[in-house]
Amino acid sequence: MPTAIVTQSSGRIVHVRLVSSDTTDTTVAPEAVALAAESGTGAAETTAVVAAPNPIAPTPKEIFWSAGSFFVLLIVMRYYLFPKLKKGMDARYADIRSDIEGADSVKAAAQTDVAGYEKQLAAVRVEAAGRIDAARQTVDTERNAQLAQVNARIASARADADAQTAAARAAAQGQVAAAVAQVATKAATMASGRTPDASVVQAAVAAAMESAGSR
Amino acid sequence: MIALDFPEINSILVWKDLFPSFNKIALIAVLAAVISITIFLLAVRQDHKEAPKGIRNFAEVIVEFIEDGVVMQTMGKDGLAWTPFLMTMFLFIYLCNVPGIIPFFQMPATARMAVPLFLALMVWVIYNVTGIKHQGLLGYFKSTLFPPGVPKALYILVTPIEFISAIIVRPFSLAVRLFANMMAGHILLVTFALLSEALFQAKDKILIPVGILPFFMLVFLTSFEVLVAFLQAYIFAMLTAVYIGGATHPEH
Repeated sequence: MPTAIVTQSSGRIVHVRLVSSDTTDTTVAPEAVALAAESGTGAAETTAVVAAPNPIAPTPKEIFWSAGSFFVLLIVMRYYLFPKLKKGMDARYADIRSDIEGADSVKAAAQTDVAGYEKQLAAVRVEAAGRIDAARQTVDTERNAQLAQVNARIASARADADAQTAAARAAAQGQVAAAVAQVATKAATMASGRTPDASVVQAAVAAAMESAGSR
Repeated sequence: MIALDFPEINSILVWKDLFPSFNKIALIAVLAAVISITIFLLAVRQDHKEAPKGIRNFAEVIVEFIEDGVVMQTMGKDGLAWTPFLMTMFLFIYLCNVPGIIPFFQMPATARMAVPLFLALMVWVIYNVTGIKHQGLLGYFKSTLFPPGVPKALYILVTPIEFISAIIVRPFSLAVRLFANMMAGHILLVTFALLSEALFQAKDKILIPVGILPFFMLVFLTSFEVLVAFLQAYIFAMLTAVYIGGATHPEH
């Protein structure tokens, strides 16, 4: 037989529901349903007034279980899980930091080695450049000396050739002057019937040849 | 056209006992603790020297998130000792929030006032005790009720406001923020689920396609609740850190 359940709030009827005595509705106290079912003969005569539980109000059992669960979790986390996890994390980070520092020191050593190598390379390059300069100077000196010798030989040979040429020219000029003087003397003799003075003829020939040579 | 029989509020918030004094809310709270412990137990069993992966990586991400995202932002290095407490709080609240969208549970434990109220009162006790421990009783109340830099005449107005704000309202705002957000989300999900069901099963065939609209809203709100579950846990942990940090270092 159904039972009418009336829910009141502050004296006002807020909900009316027909339920059977085996209801599982959690909004109604089972004992109230049973009481209502036992005390009356039907829905028309029986009214059980039950205040529904406040949907907002906290219930002690929920507080108990949530507090218990939280504190168990907090204790396990605070004293065992978190320290162990954090210890592992810190150890790994320390390893990573140590590896990074090791790598940094190796890198610094390598950079030092590279700097030393570059310094040595620069010194070798300077030395090589010095040697090349010295060799170049030596070669230049030797070349200049040889050039001077060759030029001296050429100048000497040219002077000899010039002297020979001058001698040959002088000899040829003497012969030409003598021949011209002879021809001039013969021509003057034939023209005038008298033999001109040899020194005058020679002087005139010499003057003529000189003026011809200067032109 | 359509009769939507919305259930009584108690039938979607108040759960009957699974066994004496142990209902769904208690089950979720216990599972939150068990799941957290299991995750971290599995994490610490892995070799810490190797690069973290899987569940250890997950656990370390949570630790670093709390350290960098909560403690360092609010309390600085001095607050690192509070990391296990804040991480426990964050994990517990998150795992109490998330069942709101998990099938068969479909109820966030924090949508009942018990869990937020207990946590908020615990935080209230902790930050007051910590403040008194660090500054002494007079020093703590002086720094809390008489903020420096305020003209003395204004203390008549400021001190009662600070008292109400810092001593009375804080735990309730902390509890109500979490509770109200999660309960509202839960009721919204129930509403749209019922509306979708009612429209899909409507006798008037023309209403059936309309059911897709609340159904899409239900899907969207379910995704949104994933974010809300995380956000509310983060906000609670962050405010806890702020209150404790303020109690230990009032000059900040």
